[in-house]
Amino acid sequence: MTPASKEARDRLKAAMRRLATGERAALEEIYRATSAKLFGICLRILKDEKEAEDALQDVYINLWRRADRYDPERASPISWLATFARNRAVDRLRVGKVRKGSVGEEQAAPLADTAPLADSMMIDAEREARVHVCLEKLDENPREAIRTAFFEGRTYAEIAEDEGVPLGTMKSWVRRGLQKLKTCMERGE
Amino acid sequence: MNDEATPDDILAAEYALGLLEGEQLLAARGREASDPGFAAEVAQWQARLAPLLDTIDPQTPREEVWQQIERELGQSGDAAEIISLSTRLRRWKIAAGAAAAAAVAAISVIVLSPSQVPPPAGQQAPLAASIPIGDTQLRLAVTYLPDRRELLVSASGLAADGVHDHELWLVPQTEGTPLLSLGVIAPGEERRLQLDEVVAQEFADGSALLLTREPLGGKPADAEAGPVVAEGRMQII
Repeated sequence: MTPASKEARDRLKAAMRRLATGERAALEEIYRATSAKLFGICLRILKDEKEAEDALQDVYINLWRRADRYDPERASPISWLATFARNRAVDRLRVGKVRKGSVGEEQAAPLADTAPLADSMMIDAEREARVHVCLEKLDENPREAIRTAFFEGRTYAEIAEDEGVPLGTMKSWVRRGLQKLKTCMERGE
Repeated sequence: MNDEATPDDILAAEYALGLLEGEQLLAARGREASDPGFAAEVAQWQARLAPLLDTIDPQTPREEVWQQIERELGQSGDAAEIISLSTRLRRWKIAAGAAAAAAVAAISVIVLSPSQVPPPAGQQAPLAASIPIGDTQLRLAVTYLPDRRELLVSASGLAADGVHDHELWLVPQTEGTPLLSLGVIAPGEERRLQLDEVVAQEFADGSALLLTREPLGGKPADAEAGPVVAEGRMQII
């Protein structure tokens, strides 16, 4: 994948600022630049195209209504938006709106067109490596549990059940893993 | 491992990952809303993990999704007034000092200069808010009937935990006025409250409501309000 050009990121940042002042046109610009990335995230977590569309809609409507939540001084806009989308999708899982297991990931993925503009890929390359390297250093059990939580939006109880281990065991694996992950990340921060 | 002993940085990571559920999730949400240090830990973990999202392939959504967003925003007549809401919320420090606490307790004696009082005209339509409670499917239903100055608070389905009460607050329209208590929630009940005129005047379309977790009996007069566990907004129905 291509790292975001600085120009693309600056443009997005400027659009986020205009959004915070209530400029509607800024929302469409942000949508055009980011919706493919955010839709990919919603689809990955929700595994259902209709649900992912609803989540995506929810993301941009909330972005418009609460535009001042984004602080341009603190986060890259695309990372912030991606996290926002992931969290909204996970929230949908939690309130049980999703028809569980209705469509597998493999079936859900090809439904949409996968040829976004280079601009909309917007990847923060400079930070990309660190979390991957640090995750790889963890033992398999905590690593897979953390990945499952992150990418599938699953809770401790669900992951423990899937793996057939007691909840307490799963919690200690993950907590030790998170501690190691933090130590490793801090070396790079 | 004992849940009580989870250090904050790890709790923040668990919350950022979405591993928590139930009471623990609600508690972490409350912390995030009320404790800037904890909120910063959560944000830092989110930033650390965000590059993982770059491994997910982008997928172009159907054009209808954008059209639907436009329709939705067009209908609800959103404006900058709503955008400014959370800025205002942040500015409203929940009453800390004794004077502010006393003002909240004695709602009926808050004195407003006439120029600050918003005109009641055009606000006679009933207002309602539906406040989601944590990750549950439960909602607190709040309805305000301006012509009767009555507030209906329906907490059906909610159960008391025997340790906490939850208190409902109105963020006033008038700048510089402390949050106004709308009372402690009675779990499982529907309550009808007659509002004092001074409180009634602060209700408007878009008014924000906050729910805080308090000791049994509600916020003690000499204490800060507890963590915000839920929020909602009154809208004309």
